Amino acid sequence: MRRDRLLDVVGTLARLGLAAVWLASGVPKALDPDQTYVAVRAYDVLPPLGVELVAAMLPWVEIALAVLLLLGLGTRAVAVASALLLLAFVAGVTQAWVRGLSIDCGCFGGGGRVEPGQTAYVAELARDTGFLLLAAWLVVRPRTLLAADTRIG
Amino acid sequence: MGGASRAEKRRKQEAAEARLRAAGITPKAQGGDTKRTTFIAVAVLAVVALVVGVTVLLTRDTGEPVVPTYTATAEGGVVTAGSGPIVVDVYSDYLCPACERFEERYGEELTTALNNGQITVRYHLVAILDERSDPPGYSTRAAAAALCSVPAGIFPAYHERLFDEQPSESGAGLSDERLVAIGTELGAGGDFAACVTGEANEDAVTAETEAAVANPALRRNGSFGTPTVTVDGALVEVNDPGWLQNAITG
Repeated sequence: MRRDRLLDVVGTLARLGLAAVWLASGVPKALDPDQTYVAVRAYDVLPPLGVELVAAMLPWVEIALAVLLLLGLGTRAVAVASALLLLAFVAGVTQAWVRGLSIDCGCFGGGGRVEPGQTAYVAELARDTGFLLLAAWLVVRPRTLLAADTRIG
Repeated sequence: MGGASRAEKRRKQEAAEARLRAAGITPKAQGGDTKRTTFIAVAVLAVVALVVGVTVLLTRDTGEPVVPTYTATAEGGVVTAGSGPIVVDVYSDYLCPACERFEERYGEELTTALNNGQITVRYHLVAILDERSDPPGYSTRAAAAALCSVPAGIFPAYHERLFDEQPSESGAGLSDERLVAIGTELGAGGDFAACVTGEANEDAVTAETEAAVANPALRRNGSFGTPTVTVDGALVEVNDPGWLQNAITG
């Protein structure tokens, strides 16, 4: 039972940590929509309408993920969605790196083209991998403390 | 199957379900309890994405486009549009994505104010991103072509089209043929094609770029970037959606 309790605490930290990540990435993007558009466009993957839709939706989806994680509502489903979104980011950064584009991921606001020597692909991918581990924990073991799931679930 | 092994099997299943419950996963046999929270969470995400997506689609290019009725003249690398009392200087590069956003966001508002004679806009056609296209030089070619569009009588529409068709930063940019074709499409007269292919205005663009980069009054955080906008000589923050109306109403 004590081990379960410990695992619950670890899960809770993962849940709140991931919520903080989504909040820190969603809010600056929502505050500067033009910059977000430029950042999404710099990946050079989507057609103009796709860039517009992704740039508009992404900040609010990130904030919604953060709120759901803070509440602990549908933790497992939200963790799956978080993992899928993170995998999409990993794919986006990887294709930019492989194609030799010089961009900033714009993960926490900012983004767009940078000078060739100023890219940080390794750090960006390592960071995303860390966030993926948080999501993976919650997919495997979504039980956490102070979660709406345990009250209305 | 004997009674003993059936009891054993049941005991194992219960133990497995208990482990799942401890992990926060409600076993299916126990009914759809987590289904409800999962449904709520997925619904929230879907609704957020849907509302934002529909808003984008509905607010896209609404209403009649504002037709420019002002006149434009070129001198060096600067195009002066309109003759209103408030002078707005816009420094932009045709390859700069943030400049495309500026045009998209404020283009119609500027056109309206120009049509109404409220403002004069001096478009400084600078090329600071020449190295970003492959081969380099698209920024200069595009700016030079835009200068050709002034005597051809199509600058306002041509300027807008260069941003509408802005190429990605990693590519070659629009070809000279395309730069000419857009002008022809918009009714460019005279020697527009020869002006574009003859690179007649490239030196003017280079000189304007050097002047802008060297001007300390245009620096933000120590360096010059695009888009940079001044109203009567003072830098303005174009992230503030009301910058132009504030300038007009004083």
